[in-house]
Amino acid sequence: MTMTPVLRKFALAVHITSSVGWIGAVAAYLALDVTAATSQDAQMLRAAWIAMGLIAGTIIVPLALTSFLTGLVMSLGTAWGLFRHYWVLISFVLTIIAMSILLLETPLISRIADIAADPTTSTAELRALPNTLLHSVGGTLLLIVIQVLNIYKPRGLTPYGWRKQQEQRTVRQIVDAVT
Amino acid sequence: MSHSRVEPDSGSVYRTPRWVKAIGIIALTVIVLVAVVLFTDVGGEHGPGRHLLSGEGGDTAAIDSAVQHIAPIEHSTQQP
Repeated sequence: MTMTPVLRKFALAVHITSSVGWIGAVAAYLALDVTAATSQDAQMLRAAWIAMGLIAGTIIVPLALTSFLTGLVMSLGTAWGLFRHYWVLISFVLTIIAMSILLLETPLISRIADIAADPTTSTAELRALPNTLLHSVGGTLLLIVIQVLNIYKPRGLTPYGWRKQQEQRTVRQIVDAVT
Repeated sequence: MSHSRVEPDSGSVYRTPRWVKAIGIIALTVIVLVAVVLFTDVGGEHGPGRHLLSGEGGDTAAIDSAVQHIAPIEHSTQQP
């Protein structure tokens, strides 16, 4: 299944926009997460958590899903394939890991954001809220690795890709010999 | 992910690229570290269970943990 050039360009544009947007949104989230982990000021903590809830639920999750789906379409709809090249396969696996952790983490973030938004929540309670630094730092690193792989596209076929390539070569040689 | 060109790798014998082996070693190290954090007390109250919702109220283990932390703080602030 190969996409037409127009469709491929469109999918690529959406994929790049959502992927880079995902990294940008996570960077913004990370800044707020650091604030939530280090600040002792009640207003700052409240504001940071409310913003983190909004960014995670309304920006990061949609961008991550779009990036994942367009990546899938791009790999399956072009000659790259999903399992033929290591850089595509590794990017795919890392994206699934990043997305799974994100989807598991989002309900927790919005629950904490709700607690922070509650005017009855005291300063002591706000200070005791757990941070998500481990996930946001890990997620940022993972997304950077994926981005670097996608830009450099290091050479290397998977055993499946190599077998397919050998099959195509054999077919080409037979066709050349016949013609 | 730009898919503008395909440069097929050549060679008659299959070899796993060196960069893939390096990434594999790094991934294995990270998995071991995460396992240590999850299954020992190093990471404190952390693990997949932290994300599981319990009850209709949507409370999580982490929130419970936070509330447990909050209780003694409030108790100590209320009693001078």
